[in-house]
Amino acid sequence: MKKNLIIVLLGVGLIVYASTVIASRNTIYYYTTSETEDIEITTNERIKLGGFVVEGSISKDGGYTVFTITDGNKEIDILFDGFIPELFQENMGVILDGVLDNNIFFADDMLVKHDNEYVSSDGETYDVKSYSK
Amino acid sequence: MMLYGPLAVWIAISFFGPYDVTQGVYSKLLYIHVPTVWIAYLGYTLTFLYSVFYFFTKKQKYDSLAIANAKSGVIFTVITLLAGSYWGKQTWGTWWVWGDARLNLTAILLLVYLGYIASRQFNKDLGKTARNSSFIGIFGVIQIPILHFSVIWWRSVHQQASILSQETVASGDAPMSTDILVTLLISVLLVTLVHIFLTKIFRRSNDILWDDYLNPKSRAKI
Repeated sequence: MKKNLIIVLLGVGLIVYASTVIASRNTIYYYTTSETEDIEITTNERIKLGGFVVEGSISKDGGYTVFTITDGNKEIDILFDGFIPELFQENMGVILDGVLDNNIFFADDMLVKHDNEYVSSDGETYDVKSYSK
Repeated sequence: MMLYGPLAVWIAISFFGPYDVTQGVYSKLLYIHVPTVWIAYLGYTLTFLYSVFYFFTKKQKYDSLAIANAKSGVIFTVITLLAGSYWGKQTWGTWWVWGDARLNLTAILLLVYLGYIASRQFNKDLGKTARNSSFIGIFGVIQIPILHFSVIWWRSVHQQASILSQETVASGDAPMSTDILVTLLISVLLVTLVHIFLTKIFRRSNDILWDDYLNPKSRAKI
């Protein structure tokens, strides 16, 4: 019985350890646009970059989709070539995967990050005061 | 009837309920994704409590209640992962994000409680099994607060909590339209009913195991 107990405790310990390692390794899943000024990126190193799509910045250029994202402080132009999720639109949060070069980010992978607001078609009962982020 | 009634109503309101205008109809997955994960949390928390009770009192009913809640929790964790993954495909644009803390931790949560259920087979002696498993039931619960706060502690693709967040609890105002909120709360209630039904069945089957273990002769007669 002691043996079983030790196995069980070891197993639980391993799981807790593994989840802490996995979680802490992902403390920064993506960089914000301002943070790109502070980090050191080697040439052609792929990073993930997150921000909000600037209003009126989306356009098509050849096969590329060109737009600008911002975190409120710094804007970065995006040259995107890849699958565009349906929800992609102005003011939406996006996370892009690609290479940063001279303030232009060449990306080929996009995730749309939706916020925690849910507003239905008759959303007039919704009180916006409590939500300011 | 106890099972199919709530189940049918739950599916119906998930299908016909209101949805977020920005995200489109797929945001109705909210009514499946959120209640199931809440009830999974509830199930694992009850597993924790009953494991503690069992560990100190050695009363068989607590062991049965612990395993029943864990089994139901596993079912709801699978549902929340499937619904969440499909929702992610429709909004984020991907089924799964490997780097995301909340997604990974939920997958680990499922593995731990699958391990808890598997640990019931380690030993033929039910008394020892129940004691050993209660350790997993007790320590496994640590993951729930880590999982819940993961979107606050770490930058994540997953959105912040809408209801169980500090702002909502403090102000009493959820960032949600009233009709969406009401539909969500009704679906939580319905999933709770499903959970109660499932735990009853799972509890009974474990009680039978205990009966066989404690009175081996009565079984031989049948």
